[in-house]
Amino acid sequence: MSHSHHHHSATPRLDLSGWGFLPSFLMTAGGLLSVLGLLVSWKHGVLFEFGCSWLLAFMFFYSLAIGALFLVMIHHLSGAAWSLGPRRFCEHIASLLGWPLVLMFIPVGLFGHQIYQWMNLDPATNNLVAAKAPVFTIPGFWITSGIFFALLWFLSSRLSSLSIEQDQTGAPSCTRKMNFHSGWGIVALSLLLTFSSVLWMKAVQYQFFSCIYGVYFFSDCAWIALATVYVVSVILYRQGALSRVLHEHCFQNIALLLFGFTLFSAYTEFAQYFVVWNANMPEETFWYLIREHGNWWTLGLVLIFGHFFVPFFVLLPLKIKTNFKVIVPVCILVAFMHALDLAFNIFPAHRPEGYHLRWVWLPVGVFMFMGGFLANVFLMRFHSHAAYPQRDPRLLEAMGMNPNSINDLAPNTLANTHS
Amino acid sequence: MNDKLYGIMAEFDSPAAVLRAAKAVRDAGYRRWDVFSPFPVHGMDKVMGLGNSLVGWVSLLLGAGAFMSVVGLIWYANAFDYPLIVGGKPMFSEPMTFVPSYIMLIMGGAVGSLVGMLAFNQLPRLNHPLLSTPRFELASRDKFVLVIGVKDEKFCLTQTRQLLEKIGGNAVTIVEDED
Repeated sequence: MSHSHHHHSATPRLDLSGWGFLPSFLMTAGGLLSVLGLLVSWKHGVLFEFGCSWLLAFMFFYSLAIGALFLVMIHHLSGAAWSLGPRRFCEHIASLLGWPLVLMFIPVGLFGHQIYQWMNLDPATNNLVAAKAPVFTIPGFWITSGIFFALLWFLSSRLSSLSIEQDQTGAPSCTRKMNFHSGWGIVALSLLLTFSSVLWMKAVQYQFFSCIYGVYFFSDCAWIALATVYVVSVILYRQGALSRVLHEHCFQNIALLLFGFTLFSAYTEFAQYFVVWNANMPEETFWYLIREHGNWWTLGLVLIFGHFFVPFFVLLPLKIKTNFKVIVPVCILVAFMHALDLAFNIFPAHRPEGYHLRWVWLPVGVFMFMGGFLANVFLMRFHSHAAYPQRDPRLLEAMGMNPNSINDLAPNTLANTHS
Repeated sequence: MNDKLYGIMAEFDSPAAVLRAAKAVRDAGYRRWDVFSPFPVHGMDKVMGLGNSLVGWVSLLLGAGAFMSVVGLIWYANAFDYPLIVGGKPMFSEPMTFVPSYIMLIMGGAVGSLVGMLAFNQLPRLNHPLLSTPRFELASRDKFVLVIGVKDEKFCLTQTRQLLEKIGGNAVTIVEDED
């Protein structure tokens, strides 16, 4: 282990070995592409291309932060020790739900008229808009979004600051408070992620009904968060920042959860499709009919295989889950498929004939900008605090100090192969 | 070798002791031996060189078989033997078959796990030679028991017994085979 650890001190800076410039580079290059995209889409009268690209990138990183918050809460509620290692950086990712993602949300609201058709409709002549009247108005949209962010900001910042406070004090009251906030928080989170996904993403096609939409969005939040947690854990494990609290079974468990959510996500997506298919009502089937035309059909097939079959069968064997060389590429596939799945939800409303591939640089540019910006915020927070909770009551157990395994004679194969 | 023998059993007092003993037995070249403990001992599977159980393959086989047979049944009943239009749907289509087939896949998988587990454990059986050794039941209380079977190529009544005593085994007992 090359890094020394001191209690109550910030993590030693990560050795990003030449990659340290990347977030700022992505931010600059992506920012330029985004501005160019804004101008070009404005000139061609297709401002929705910019709006939807921005919404796509926003929903991607929003779902990642929601999933990270969910993992932090589940860690507190289950009282598990193994998930202590990834908890601190999960807290930092969840904290992006504060000002960084609020900032990223503002363009979604500003370009609302281009993204959301309902904003241009008169409730007096459209019953579907009128039925959702208090929310489906411009002030309603901003106020509701504000409430979502206020609650998410409160939850993520409480869980993060209590955890950091415990690094200094070691007070058991911090653990109790975190348990308390996770308790009501997980109920609030499930409602908030449902309402926000409906208001920001499903409302792109305001005519569509789906009761499982929130569950479907949730499963993908957890999915992308687990994939990210696996990759970040591997990086921090190899850098030595988390090598004391991460063991082979941690990677096993994260990959197992990733496998479970691969299945759960396919289950929810199929459930939505099956109910619409079976009921066969025009109010609902139109949503899937649009997506059977043009290259949306191809994208649907890509999702069936890339979002479910490939990760499912790769993750199935027991021993593969700790093989970084296999699972890290799967995690990258997961991120890619999650982005495509969100695009499958957002874009077809404006491009029923199929996606115009000559515009693909625009969402890529917005992803680069937003990813670079949020990565910079994340790294700033990561470097200013300890890499894992320093005085959590479960720390010794997480480090493997229990009477049963102190005497473990078996060599830690992971440590041998990756040290 | 004596047909009336099952093996030699030794007791250990802690998980660490039985792990050390298991390592010694493995290094001595024995292959047909087993460890019994009141709770899982971390690292024992690695020391014993236990691989992955084959039960998963039985589950997969029965699960996939159940899935395909229900797809076949729905096709046979709805589209082949007695074509019937229900709700304006096609006679046979994938979404229609998925839910019942999926449920039968779970059923097949569960039955496969149970049957596979019983078969690989050679269960059910009425008795086991180890159960006639009175102290063996301590393996579900506070002792850790290591048994070397008589079927092992290296098994030798005196040498195996000496090995078990040398590595710290208490109450080394010869287990008789009643069959």
